[in-house]
Amino acid sequence: MSVAGRPRPAHILSQTPAIRIRGLSRRFGNNQALSPMDLDVAPGEIVGLIGPNGSGKSTLLRCLTGVVKKDAGEVTVDGEDFASDGVNIRRRVTYSPGEVNTYGELTGAGHLTWLLRGRDQATHARALEVAEDLGLPTRSKVRTYSHGMKRQLLFAAAIAPAVRVRLLDEITEGLDPAMRARILDRLRADADAGAATLLSSHHFGEVDRVCDRLVFINEGKKLSEESPETIAARARGLATFEYADATAARDAHERFEAEGIDADPRDRRLLVRLGEEDPQRVLGLLLGRSDLPAPTSVVYGRLPLADLYHELYGEEAC
Amino acid sequence: MERTLRSYLLPSLLYAILLEVMIAAAILYWPDFEENIDTYGDILPFESVRKMVESISETGVAAYVNLQHFYKACNVLGTAAAVFFAVGAVAGEANRGTLELWLSRPVSRTRMLLERYVAGALAMALPIYLTSATIPWLLEQVGEEMSLSGLMLIATHESLFLLVLYSLAFCISTVTSRPMPVALGLLFLTIFQFSIYLVMEWTHYSWFRLADLDDFQTILRRGHLDVSTCGPLAVGCALLLGASLYLFHRRVP
Repeated sequence: MSVAGRPRPAHILSQTPAIRIRGLSRRFGNNQALSPMDLDVAPGEIVGLIGPNGSGKSTLLRCLTGVVKKDAGEVTVDGEDFASDGVNIRRRVTYSPGEVNTYGELTGAGHLTWLLRGRDQATHARALEVAEDLGLPTRSKVRTYSHGMKRQLLFAAAIAPAVRVRLLDEITEGLDPAMRARILDRLRADADAGAATLLSSHHFGEVDRVCDRLVFINEGKKLSEESPETIAARARGLATFEYADATAARDAHERFEAEGIDADPRDRRLLVRLGEEDPQRVLGLLLGRSDLPAPTSVVYGRLPLADLYHELYGEEAC
Repeated sequence: MERTLRSYLLPSLLYAILLEVMIAAAILYWPDFEENIDTYGDILPFESVRKMVESISETGVAAYVNLQHFYKACNVLGTAAAVFFAVGAVAGEANRGTLELWLSRPVSRTRMLLERYVAGALAMALPIYLTSATIPWLLEQVGEEMSLSGLMLIATHESLFLLVLYSLAFCISTVTSRPMPVALGLLFLTIFQFSIYLVMEWTHYSWFRLADLDDFQTILRRGHLDVSTCGPLAVGCALLLGASLYLFHRRVP
């Protein structure tokens, strides 16, 4: 089920946030990597961070863990205020960085031990269990691992600790579809057990599948925060007309523009904005007119994430 | 800590073996050297080196050991070891892309850095103590003797001197991501410092004046460390370590 169609679990609405961010900002020289940002993530909720490269997703996650020092703002994670260099927060969260760089000279098991320093023995055993369940050769040196296997190793270390907050940056990047599905299933189960997850991703299929809410970021600013309800509301004002070919779509676009109807051409498709006043009536009128090119199909009430991305950023998602 | 210690163990062991081989060879050569000491004094090119030989001629095997082991082997190899162990501490992690992983573990940055600092410092200094401890036994083989306590005092002075260089390289490592150019730069600077030590007019501008034969002989004569030299060296180390901690807390991957 996609994020738009997923009902919000009742416990998400009722509890105090596991992650509470107020006015968090960070600047690197002249570049405002994060403008003052507010965000809450409830226990049991998976929030997807979406945005183009350099939009500030990773900086946000790094600031939450103290890997990058914040300039200003308040961060409370699992009831604990960010203090000192953030070690108190790092004890309460797991974080998996977006870059996959590992110590090739360590074995998989040794690397997990290194990653989980400061955690209890049960966590180490659980991480090993997860890694072996994913099919990783934990006795082999990490230098023999493929990119995807290293990613799985980081995931095993991120999912094993019994913490209530997980910060995951591109956790399924480089994985094959089957492995991606297994990882996402684990994440969903973890969230259902009460963990709050902030998931940065470029993969729409991934966020659509597991996220309860989406936060779109660009140039360090929160562009939009979308819940299933807001996506559904947006979808009610939009219809996608598909035509036999791009020429027909362009022709239809010109006719729509002449009529003052707001539409975006995308190859063979037209994303038509129906307006806020009774969109279904407008849609009925458009479809009933014989002077306009006839579409081969019309989709109404559903907004794919790629289209939402286009709406927010004005450019095609990769 | 365990991984850090393991990564330093092999280089430290090699460095210790090299020091031991050098001092063993030098001591076994002592009888020949002693016999021809006047000839050496005549043929040596630098006045500063001729003065060292004169000192050996006056005070005997202790000055010879101090020159060969502490001034020559420990200063040269020790400097290389100090730079090698320090410069990769943080910059090496950044260079291989593992800095973020390192920083994201639930350990405070102060502790992370201090562990690295101590591990590298031990890897640099322990071989000096260990090889110095074998000197009395080696001297017995050529019918000479030297007190272990005096050697340990000199080893402490030498380690403190090298620790300043180590701390400097360590501090630079906390702000850079390119360990190799920094290491090469520091090694060239060291070679330059060693070169100007040999020139009488410039010798006072060389940092090796802080750990030369005069210092070592003074320690042996007095039976304790020279506070006027060791004090500032210790303060220098502390300041550089403080600066490293300050910079490391602001470090981004």
